[in-house]
Amino acid sequence: MNIVASRSPGADHPSLVLPSFVLKPGELSAGALAHRAGGTLAILHGVLAPEQGVPLPLLASRLALRAAVASLRLEGRTRTETDLRDAFHFTRPGDALGPDGDALAFWRAAIGPKASPKTPVLEADVDPSEALTLGQTIAAQSGPLAGCVALIQHYLDIAPRAEREACRLSDILLARLVGWPLPFPVTALYLTKSVLRDAQTSDAGALKLQARLLDSLIDLHRLARDFARRAAAAQAMSRKLRAKTSDPALAVFLREEAVVPVPMLSPRIAGTKTPMTDRAARRFCDRLVSLGVATELTGRSSFRLYGLAP
Amino acid sequence: MTPFDPELSDRLPEQRWREWMARIEAVIFASATPVPRDRLVPLVGAEASVDLLIEDLKTAYADRAFELVELGGGWMFRTRPRFADAIRAAADLGERPLPFSEMEMAVLSAIAYHQPIDRAALADLFGKPISPDLISRLRHRDLIANGPRAPRRGAPQTFVTTETFLATFDLQSLRDLPDPAEQ
Repeated sequence: MNIVASRSPGADHPSLVLPSFVLKPGELSAGALAHRAGGTLAILHGVLAPEQGVPLPLLASRLALRAAVASLRLEGRTRTETDLRDAFHFTRPGDALGPDGDALAFWRAAIGPKASPKTPVLEADVDPSEALTLGQTIAAQSGPLAGCVALIQHYLDIAPRAEREACRLSDILLARLVGWPLPFPVTALYLTKSVLRDAQTSDAGALKLQARLLDSLIDLHRLARDFARRAAAAQAMSRKLRAKTSDPALAVFLREEAVVPVPMLSPRIAGTKTPMTDRAARRFCDRLVSLGVATELTGRSSFRLYGLAP
Repeated sequence: MTPFDPELSDRLPEQRWREWMARIEAVIFASATPVPRDRLVPLVGAEASVDLLIEDLKTAYADRAFELVELGGGWMFRTRPRFADAIRAAADLGERPLPFSEMEMAVLSAIAYHQPIDRAALADLFGKPISPDLISRLRHRDLIANGPRAPRRGAPQTFVTTETFLATFDLQSLRDLPDPAEQ
């Protein structure tokens, strides 16, 4: 009798695809939402398993940018992803990031190595441990989405303008509840001022907030699968690169959703001691573009930013 | 010189409390910019609440011409609005950053609403070049700061507003900027 060793499912395996009961718009009821969320989170568990090759830091980096745009919108500031990338990546050391760069810095810190619920935030009146405990208690009864909503309602009750902090803490709660290695910035993505306002004032509003969180989870699934495919394609092409600096330089593209050649690759490749000249860094990025591994994100002929090709 | 003692455990509770209040008062008085809460925490005992001490200070100032307010990320003294006329009528305001020329105010507003914005974009808004001296004056008063470089030829400097700007105009954050449509 052969013992069949378990193998990780191939990317197309049905166990990694969201079932239709999740994707079909459902009733705005606690039970229906919890059911669809449960299904989504279970599938995500498989999708995010190491063997599936999702570049988790890159996924988090992309979500951080989107969350920054979303949280600025909640704060009454309508900005594009390009505005935020430019503000963050082209601020020289010692200069101020400004409100757009600041928002991106906030979300990058939220997913960074030193992130913790106790990271000093703007709003000192809310005890993060208390908020997390409340969220966990509600989640134990009514599922993770309800837990996140309870946490957000509690937070905004005390600090009505601390939307970004409430979202950040909600991400931390969710990651703890479902066992993610990173607090993926999903909470903010589909929120609007009116959804948050209604969630504070009615049960139906609170369910609508849950529905928006579910939308984020469904999107997380799509993005994770997409990045896994893109990372695998990049790594396959990397054999054509053949320079000593190629692997660590490509690794930066698998961690950062936007790469600016200076200073991320030059004078040293970020995270390493490997030196690279400005010219070599730009040439490397252009080579990646010509191989179809990367794209240039800005459309500009200077001050260019590069990202993993879609 | 005796080392700084936040706990003051050798004193009676009432004296201790008054001394903590006084310390907070002194630090805020001495500071040119708003004092954030975490700069006040080391002054007082571990069990003391900075918020309660500040509440007591506010009560103590109830009849004074100035008040303690939380603006721009920290605490500061500010004269009460009803004395604005008296202050203006007084002769010399010295270094206090109150008066602005119309143009300074206009440029500062433009930066507040459009930040990050560089000199060329400001010139487009006003239909004329903005004097570098004016920008320098605003920067010298810590109302604006150098922001990101604009991703254009020459990487021109953009400007953004500062915490001091928020404090000066009684704004908790940029969200409190008056709706431009109402101007």
